[in-house]
Amino acid sequence: MTTIASSPDGAALVSEIDKIDPLWRQRVRIFVHNKLAVASLAYVIFITLFCYLWPIFHPTNQTNQAATFNVTWNAPPSLHNPLGTDSSGFDELGRIAYGGEYSLALGFLAGMITIVVGTIYGMVSGFFGGITDTIMMRILDAFLSIPYLFLLIALVTIFNRTTMLLILIIGFTGWWGNARIIRGDALLIRNLEYSQAARSMGAGRMRIIRRHVYPNSISNIVTVATFSIADAILFLSALGFLGLGIVAPQTDWGTMLQQGTDQLQNGYWWEIYPLAIVFILVVVAINYIGDALRDIFEVRLIQR
Amino acid sequence: MLQYIIRRLFQSFVVLLIVMFFTFSLPYFQQEGILAPAYAILGTNATKARVAYWGAQHGMNHPFFVRFWNYILQTFVHFNLGTSYKQNMTVWQIISLYVPRTVWLAGAALLLTILIAIPLGMYQAARRNTIVDYAATGSAFVLYAMPSFLLCLLMMDAFGFHWPHLPISPPTSVAPWAMFTDPKGFILPVASLTLLSVAGLSRFMRGTVLEVLVQDYIRTAKAKGCSNRRVLMRHAFRNALGPIVTILGLSIPALFGGALIIESVFNYEGLGMQTVNAAVNVDVPTVLGITMLVTIMTLLGNLIADVVLGLVNPRIRIEGKNS
Repeated sequence: MTTIASSPDGAALVSEIDKIDPLWRQRVRIFVHNKLAVASLAYVIFITLFCYLWPIFHPTNQTNQAATFNVTWNAPPSLHNPLGTDSSGFDELGRIAYGGEYSLALGFLAGMITIVVGTIYGMVSGFFGGITDTIMMRILDAFLSIPYLFLLIALVTIFNRTTMLLILIIGFTGWWGNARIIRGDALLIRNLEYSQAARSMGAGRMRIIRRHVYPNSISNIVTVATFSIADAILFLSALGFLGLGIVAPQTDWGTMLQQGTDQLQNGYWWEIYPLAIVFILVVVAINYIGDALRDIFEVRLIQR
Repeated sequence: MLQYIIRRLFQSFVVLLIVMFFTFSLPYFQQEGILAPAYAILGTNATKARVAYWGAQHGMNHPFFVRFWNYILQTFVHFNLGTSYKQNMTVWQIISLYVPRTVWLAGAALLLTILIAIPLGMYQAARRNTIVDYAATGSAFVLYAMPSFLLCLLMMDAFGFHWPHLPISPPTSVAPWAMFTDPKGFILPVASLTLLSVAGLSRFMRGTVLEVLVQDYIRTAKAKGCSNRRVLMRHAFRNALGPIVTILGLSIPALFGGALIIESVFNYEGLGMQTVNAAVNVDVPTVLGITMLVTIMTLLGNLIADVVLGLVNPRIRIEGKNS
């Protein structure tokens, strides 16, 4: 540094380099520039905090059916129950938080599993290529041609529907699309000049995967991970709607929506519309964050 | 071309065998093992001897690979998918009864989706960043984020109860011609399924056309004095068709999945509802048969998509090369 700085041109160069922010800060700047993405992130954080903190500040009975017999069922919103009560006499606002804990946690964990498994499978397949790739991709083809929801239903009826098993089932069946995307990346990057250069200098396979393929496909991994979480939340809700979600007395948003829609024709709007809006906006927000995350990895958008 | 199709058919067959192996081994993971259906049929209080007898009757005392081999033989040599444990019908009867009903629902929705999504996507691409584009993208985003059952229920609530103009359920009779007795009953289910798939496809079409519009040949066409309309219809549309054909082929499982939810919401007896019921009742032969059937449809759909792709796009040479 000092030797460069001693020459007049070098000093200018150093000050120029100092001005350039580290890469992550530039990425954060691009993300913050996208107002809608920031709003989405704030919304998701707000709903998550609400789900986990609201029951602490304002505990309501959500599990004890016997204690609801002195409560009006399907009561409209009032001061005591800000969003009324549902068809089992549980406080609706508290229940949105209670069901949200399960929906969000399950969606997040299952989405994480899909991305980890999908990344590993896709990278190995794409990077090794040849016969390994062919076999792994044919197996993937087989998985991808099973209608996903059919398989999910079969699996949740075979195994018990405990929270942990639901996470594992959604997680270990949702990674096929991810694996295909990551594999395409790995296949591309493997043949780029810098990977070839590394190989020519004697770098081993694992080193190239770790130092070149993985960092350069991180944009797709992060984006796909975000979408996977949204998808997992949606699939969990679909299972809940079919009556195959989390077992009572626990609940999740899908099960709640299903129970609420039974009451829709009676005009009990508070059992469905508040939750529906919260739910849809959460998934929209997560998807939008995914879109914005894809942008921050676009090198062309980085302003210097 | 023929050689390519034959090779693809062979590959599809291998894929089908993998799917069959996978689905066939699933019942072994049940808590009661493969005898679980016995308890679903004979009741949970059935004696051990009775359950064992039922198992022997259905050939369950053989080892896994013997059973699997027999199942393959029975399927591909005798075209016999077995008999449903729960309903007094063979699996073929169930399939031939319900497939037309689901295909009718999903096919109508697919046709409408193509007719709506492709022009919409092209319009959005041609007039991008206008109010129409933003509105369409925004609604696609919301529709994409909406659980399919919720959309159906909101449609039912709106058009069935608030403005009661439409019946909320298609004809429930399973007779083959019942589908045509009350066409009005299909408006809501088909519209829901269409809306859901239009959201994804129009977004994809918009992206593809946008990519095509920056190509050199579009600029050349414009430079030669081609009208905007002709550029869009002739040059952009044709070149965007390829990816769309592929994605349509790939969307068949999703369409069946969507139909499954919509059948449950609108109480329409079809393949989807049969699957849910069969899965809940541990009716293994029915689940296996339907899964296999839908897998075959998906594989054929992909194959047809690839062949059509070769026909519409002369640049893709389908010859000896691996796909």
